[in-house]
Amino acid sequence: MARVDLTIEVCGMAGDGTIAAGGLLNEAMSAGGFSVLGFDSYPAEIRGFGRCVTRSRIGTERIFALEDKTNVLISLDDVQSRSRVPYLARDAAVFFDSNPPVYVEEEMSLAARVEPETTLFGFPMADLAAAAAGTTRGRNLTALGGFAATFGVPRDLFVEVITKKFKAKGNKVLDANIKSFDAGYAYGLEHFRDRLRDTLKPLPGIKKGPEKVMLSGNLAIGRGAIDAGLKLYFGYPITPATPIMEYLAAKLPERGGRVVQMEDEISSIGAVLGGFYAGARSMTATSGPGFALMTELITHGVMAEIPAVILNAQRGGPSTGLPTKTEQSDLHAAVFGGPGDSPRIVIAPSDVEECYRYTVLSFQLAEKYQTPVIVLTDFYLDNRVENLPIPQATEREIADANEYPDESVQGAYKRYLMTDSGISPRSIPGMEGFTFSATGLEHVEKGTPNYTEENHMNMTEKRHRKIAGALEDLPAPVEYSRGGPLDVGVIGWGSTFGAILEAVNIANERGLNVGALKITSIFPFHGGVIRAFMNRCSEVLIPELNYEGQLANLIDHLHRKDVVRLSRATGSPIPPSLILKEIETLVPAGAS
Amino acid sequence: MAKDHVVIIGNGPAANEAAIALRERAPELRVTIVGREHVRQYKPHFLPALIAGKITEHDLFVRPIESYSQAGIKLRLGQEVVDVDFDTRRVILAHKEVLRFDGLIIATGGKPRIPEPFLVFQDVMMTLKTLADARVWIEKLARVDSVLIVGGDLTSVAFAKALVSMGKTVKLMVDEHGFWPLHLGDETRQEVAQRLASSGMELVACRKLKGLARVSADEIRVETDCGRYTVGAVGAFFGLVPDVKFLARSGLYIERGIIVDESLMTHYDGVYAAGDCAQVYHPALRDYWVSIGYRNAENLGRIAALNLIGGKVCAETPPESIFHVEGVKVPTSWWAEI
Repeated sequence: MARVDLTIEVCGMAGDGTIAAGGLLNEAMSAGGFSVLGFDSYPAEIRGFGRCVTRSRIGTERIFALEDKTNVLISLDDVQSRSRVPYLARDAAVFFDSNPPVYVEEEMSLAARVEPETTLFGFPMADLAAAAAGTTRGRNLTALGGFAATFGVPRDLFVEVITKKFKAKGNKVLDANIKSFDAGYAYGLEHFRDRLRDTLKPLPGIKKGPEKVMLSGNLAIGRGAIDAGLKLYFGYPITPATPIMEYLAAKLPERGGRVVQMEDEISSIGAVLGGFYAGARSMTATSGPGFALMTELITHGVMAEIPAVILNAQRGGPSTGLPTKTEQSDLHAAVFGGPGDSPRIVIAPSDVEECYRYTVLSFQLAEKYQTPVIVLTDFYLDNRVENLPIPQATEREIADANEYPDESVQGAYKRYLMTDSGISPRSIPGMEGFTFSATGLEHVEKGTPNYTEENHMNMTEKRHRKIAGALEDLPAPVEYSRGGPLDVGVIGWGSTFGAILEAVNIANERGLNVGALKITSIFPFHGGVIRAFMNRCSEVLIPELNYEGQLANLIDHLHRKDVVRLSRATGSPIPPSLILKEIETLVPAGAS
Repeated sequence: MAKDHVVIIGNGPAANEAAIALRERAPELRVTIVGREHVRQYKPHFLPALIAGKITEHDLFVRPIESYSQAGIKLRLGQEVVDVDFDTRRVILAHKEVLRFDGLIIATGGKPRIPEPFLVFQDVMMTLKTLADARVWIEKLARVDSVLIVGGDLTSVAFAKALVSMGKTVKLMVDEHGFWPLHLGDETRQEVAQRLASSGMELVACRKLKGLARVSADEIRVETDCGRYTVGAVGAFFGLVPDVKFLARSGLYIERGIIVDESLMTHYDGVYAAGDCAQVYHPALRDYWVSIGYRNAENLGRIAALNLIGGKVCAETPPESIFHVEGVKVPTSWWAEI
């Protein structure tokens, strides 16, 4: 079986149906048995202008990251697509509308920009859609049809996913979309005969069925929260976290939970603390600007030792920043943000499957360690889709992790009892004889305010001891290497790790001696494990999507020399090729 | 004469030679080649060898693709010109793009000629002009064992020999006009026919093709004035005619090809035609001629380019040379009256 590794882009103007086309493409390829990793990029504005791009990497092997070169560009708007030409692979295929409404000058033409090796597939998308369905609205489907015919994707595969998407809108809409698709498909078979390929024929032995589902990071977080027994969601819309609230608003009430849109992020985190205080699993999801507003109340959770789950879907910053671009630049804010010494747990999934598992895990961590748990994702992870086996949490993973007070202390209950672990059994308001005094003021064991030197020192130490102890329940770093000394060790976190792993794999295939270390527990972190890895590496490279090198700032003291930083603040994911290039620079000449 | 943007329509020997000459002599110009085929320039006379599996597609190409960008030539492949507006000096592409030019060289070459009596059969006959045609032949020959070749142009003999080398049964049907555009005397033609027959081809000695009918995807029934038989494919090899239909309403003077003077200029200033698509005035002969052959096309392309940038070079008749058909020497001027 020939190895397939294709990156396919759909590019258009907002309102062209670009994102919808990309979604259908991903679903169809997944149904065909391929591994899929897709990512959408769209403008911050609601509608009417701005470029939309969906990128999908389709492969026979597992896909870890997006590549920077595109093999197939499906253009729904040539003016927008011109900006994508520099990203085309040498022998790319470009599908475009050959009969636009008006004549196009050379300067504005997509066909004028492409390199000669590019194979052009021009066809009258809008005309075909209009003739088939009476409207040009389905030209995105017509474009997909032309692509599918050319690359050997069976019609039925697409018809199935189109039906799944549009059947709820009635037969008329469904019929129009299928006709639009068919028009492009028939045109492709007839007119592109000399250029037909069977690259994307469904893989043999693929059984249809629900073994794999297409999930975005956001959807996985939503599902994880529901499976973990989420009862209350409070939030305020913000890109890129809003889809989590949308999903939960549709699904949580069916499970007896509630979703409340609050007036802002401050009230959201307040309500989450209130929900957990009352014993109900609660969460909120936001992005950088909203997270900044939550900071003070997060530290209230630290001080009052109330659980909370906060999802921070990072985007380009600071301030409003780049709402629809990706960045990993809230690490400092998540770990250190807020007044006082306020230790909290910060974890960061690195792929869609981990988005599910880490969301599930976050509730138990919050309950057991009675602290806000921050789950750090980013736009690239939230918005990307991957096809993966349906994730399912075990009973053990979703079990109640609260440590309740013993009956014997009823009436003499100390909410902030000093313990070796720092964990004080937590009562739930309403438990008679177990008064829960929740206060943001420094307090003694019973919860009454106290500002003495000794008490503040002891209580601060207790809270830190508790969080440090959480390491035993936090996922340890995972190493990917042959073991032994390494010329280069690449450490990464979050959405960037997929690109790191792919780059390291390629480097090793080329005979280099390179390893990767994935860190998902950002705070507290497994310093011993990280240091041991670093000690085996001649050079340590830390690629991340921020300017300051925020993970590097956190852990570089563990290395005997300066770590090499590959810090990018471009708003776009780091491609594996860039990391590979840096690795090759760091490997000593002649080493293999 | 300095021109800002020279557009060259076509991607064959005349077009490429013109582009190279322009870049060498007038590097300040912007030069764009627009070719309808999806591949860069190749040697069409090697297509029979490709079909026979003796060479790969890679061997066909004249120069690396990178050489175009290195030379500063914008190469646009798979893009078809559908019209030219000489008044506003705009080339219109099939995908509704407007390409403005200051100078224009039309070098679209030829397309397979199907004589009128055979037009009714053209749907069942295959030609061999382009790489795409060759790919279709390769697919077809994987399924069929016998081929009838009608006509005897420059390509057909090489193609027939390629088929024989592949173990295919080849029937060759030629009449007195069968070696167009070469003019063979009776004696020479008989000698050529004899040599071809001894090469393993079956010469079909009939004068009229009465019918071709597709029985199935890979079966064609042939009816001639001297019998009926079935073959897997039928190839038409009657030479080429200028490929200029897209200019029919452009205002250019077109007879068989684009009418140009001895400097290869049309009646529009700065607009030239070269290669197989041009019908060139020859002052000494006081008549128009078209050229045939790869080398001639290259030569004309270069002349058109030089004249476009202010040269005064005449397209002269190349000297007579010898063309070999199965070892038989056939003198030809490489020019043909059409």
